[in-house]
Amino acid sequence: MAKHVKILCVCGSGTVSSAMVANKLKEKLADYGYAVEATECSPNSAETALASGGFSLMACVSPVYQEFGVPKVNAVGMLTGLSEDQVLQDCLKILEKE
Amino acid sequence: MRAIYEDLVVCGVDAADAEDAIRQVGRFLFRKGFVKDTYVDAVAAREKEFPTGLQLKNLAVAMPHTAGVHVNTPAVCVAKLAHPVQFAHMGDPETEVQAELLFMMAIQNPDAQLETLQKVMKVFTDEAAVAEFKAAGDRESLYQAAKRHIG
Repeated sequence: MAKHVKILCVCGSGTVSSAMVANKLKEKLADYGYAVEATECSPNSAETALASGGFSLMACVSPVYQEFGVPKVNAVGMLTGLSEDQVLQDCLKILEKE
Repeated sequence: MRAIYEDLVVCGVDAADAEDAIRQVGRFLFRKGFVKDTYVDAVAAREKEFPTGLQLKNLAVAMPHTAGVHVNTPAVCVAKLAHPVQFAHMGDPETEVQAELLFMMAIQNPDAQLETLQKVMKVFTDEAAVAEFKAAGDRESLYQAAKRHIG
């Protein structure tokens, strides 16, 4: 049974790059037994998006300077492919702690 | 879903800076009716706040885009610059990259155009595909590469 986790994907417009990252995370984390429910938003709407609660982490492709008490992972490496594994490991580290 | 159109593949765009590159390349999307007259300004403004430069393994690219309300028909405009232009890196505005290739995205609804987004992302992360785009010396070979990898 896959473990259900909520991830907030943050990019500038809350659409294009966050959708790319969300999709990749769903794919990659499924291999580790996680069923990812991804929500996409822009940095300005992160607070509102997080209000629904239960998020394990924020995967950011735009810098989010504010702290919301939810761990942040820089997910740009997912887009360039240069540090895909690093991003994945960062996410797993947070998810495994739960 | 189709995203690549011959009219939207261009080579040798001689741009002074990132904004000039966005305005010149965006004009192709506008002239062919893929985007509204608000698109180019919206992309240029967004790029300043949330840059889209990406340093790939052997090539720097940028994928300027904006919200779907400015788009009429989804498409990806692939443009090779005459010389590299400085873009700030996505997620890290302090880092600058010398972008040689623009993937200008006209995305209306990311869920509906997910396949296109996935394919573009696959190009970015696939060294051989990047090499193909990099090597494409004219419009025809760039179009063939774009058609094959993004569709």
